[in-house]
Amino acid sequence: MIPFLTTKDLTKSYGGLKAIDNINIEINSGEILSLVGDNGAGKSTFVKTIAGAQLPDSGVIKIEGKELRIENPNKASEYGIGCLHQGLGLIDTLNVPENVFLGRELQKKGFGIFPQLDNQRMREETKQLLEQFSIKLPKLNEAVVHLSGGQRQTIAISRLLLQKVKLVIMDEPMAALGVDEGSKVLNLIEKMKSENIGVLIISHNLEHVFRLSDRIAVMKNGKLLSVLDSKKTTREEIVKLITFGTS
Amino acid sequence: MSELSIGHADKKWIFQGIGLTIVVILLAIIFSFINPKFATTTNLLNILTQASYYIILAVGMTFVIAAAGIDLSVGSLLALITVVNFELIKGGLNPIVGVILMFLMGGILGAFTGYLITYINIPPFIATLGVMVSLRGLALVHSAGKMHYGLPESLTWFGQGEFLGIPVPVLISLIFALFGAWLFNRTKFGLHVRSIGGNREAARLVGINVKMIEILVYCFMGLCVALGGLIMIARIDSTQATIGTSMEIHVIAAVIIGGTSLFGGKGTIFGTLLGAILLSMMTNALVIAGVDYFWQLFIMGIIVLIAVTINNFRDRKLSFNV
Repeated sequence: MIPFLTTKDLTKSYGGLKAIDNINIEINSGEILSLVGDNGAGKSTFVKTIAGAQLPDSGVIKIEGKELRIENPNKASEYGIGCLHQGLGLIDTLNVPENVFLGRELQKKGFGIFPQLDNQRMREETKQLLEQFSIKLPKLNEAVVHLSGGQRQTIAISRLLLQKVKLVIMDEPMAALGVDEGSKVLNLIEKMKSENIGVLIISHNLEHVFRLSDRIAVMKNGKLLSVLDSKKTTREEIVKLITFGTS
Repeated sequence: MSELSIGHADKKWIFQGIGLTIVVILLAIIFSFINPKFATTTNLLNILTQASYYIILAVGMTFVIAAAGIDLSVGSLLALITVVNFELIKGGLNPIVGVILMFLMGGILGAFTGYLITYINIPPFIATLGVMVSLRGLALVHSAGKMHYGLPESLTWFGQGEFLGIPVPVLISLIFALFGAWLFNRTKFGLHVRSIGGNREAARLVGINVKMIEILVYCFMGLCVALGGLIMIARIDSTQATIGTSMEIHVIAAVIIGGTSLFGGKGTIFGTLLGAILLSMMTNALVIAGVDYFWQLFIMGIIVLIAVTINNFRDRKLSFNV
């Protein structure tokens, strides 16, 4: 089976510092891969290069076996890669369907002539999408500023799902969430996996990493040290790799 | 909120709209008790006619403020495009061509202001302040203090005509407010304007052409100035380079009183409509009560300050509720 995303010798430097150094990794559809490492390990730089936020200095990115250049976030989205930013990228003053469909609005003919928003269809499709992923929100018509952190997180994820993404990149998805809300987001990630969506998670929380991941990739000083099967490794081994670079 | 209602789809805003409606009705009752002349049909229609051009400009300003901008140049733009085109029409230009030219000038100069803000990165307050002074200067250079008067009847109809007993300016402004509400709440353009005001960077990340939308917002403001200007000069059948002085304060005040957030992202055209009517009602009541014009200005300033304070308080309360 061809992996959804493959990187070959991906390198990016800032001045004299190699932020990522010859990264070779594969991410499969329907797989949850966690990326762990200390601050400065190169996790964010790696994610930025595959999400189109910055171009690598050298190396190759292949999507479903095809070599592609991901010049910007829109291109990444076009290729099926969605990125959940830490700030979530929601518009506080808009309601749930408006946020979910923003940039991809559904329209109909108003007064038979003029294009206008099809609010009803956007609301219904948002409802369906949320039901499909077992997401429960009290009110869809309310501005998202009134919703909790977990609810906002699920809306941001819903927006990605609407784009029919094949790989979702999540940077600390459970940060600042309570236990209950965090577990809802964890369930949602598992649900995405069951829908054959690949998920790449950056997280410092090893409990979540072990609960969710199929494989765990460890980075240190810009290098990819190891990619381990989560069922065949231990927390101790991962911590040693993160801290000392060897297990 | 129901599909057909006007305003932002959020319960708090419906509540605010109802609140403002009650304030307008209560004030009308109070003014009627103070002076019986206030409650006559003629005077009430007069208030709506006076409010008509402010309503049209305030609809445009709602888009500008909802996109987290501000436009101080509306009064000067109105002066320039009316003095130039009034003179051209008086000089023999076909009135229809003159009106089209007014809209073209309004749209292009508005878009130019938007360009200064988006591409040259001048903050909206400074950019529009500069444009305000420059356009007023151009209007003064052009008309050299002259008063222009005597429009053809086909144009004065827009300001003085009646249809089924209702003044044409009132009809135009109400129809335009309905159009504005549709554009603001029911179209992709309106949604993008609100999203840019709510979170510019997030709007950019989802692929919205933020700069183009901002230019279109100021262009739309310019078109509103042209329509408002046409009604204004048609009503008084004259214009001069000082017309529209301080108009921006009145227009911005109507929008803020109407409940549009100064921080951008949300607002209601229905609120703006009520805000403009409320201000015209206040001005009318002060005139009937014989209050000096300079005191009227003072009171208007105080109203703006109170509206901004309430606006800030409400937005802060909203962010505390998160």
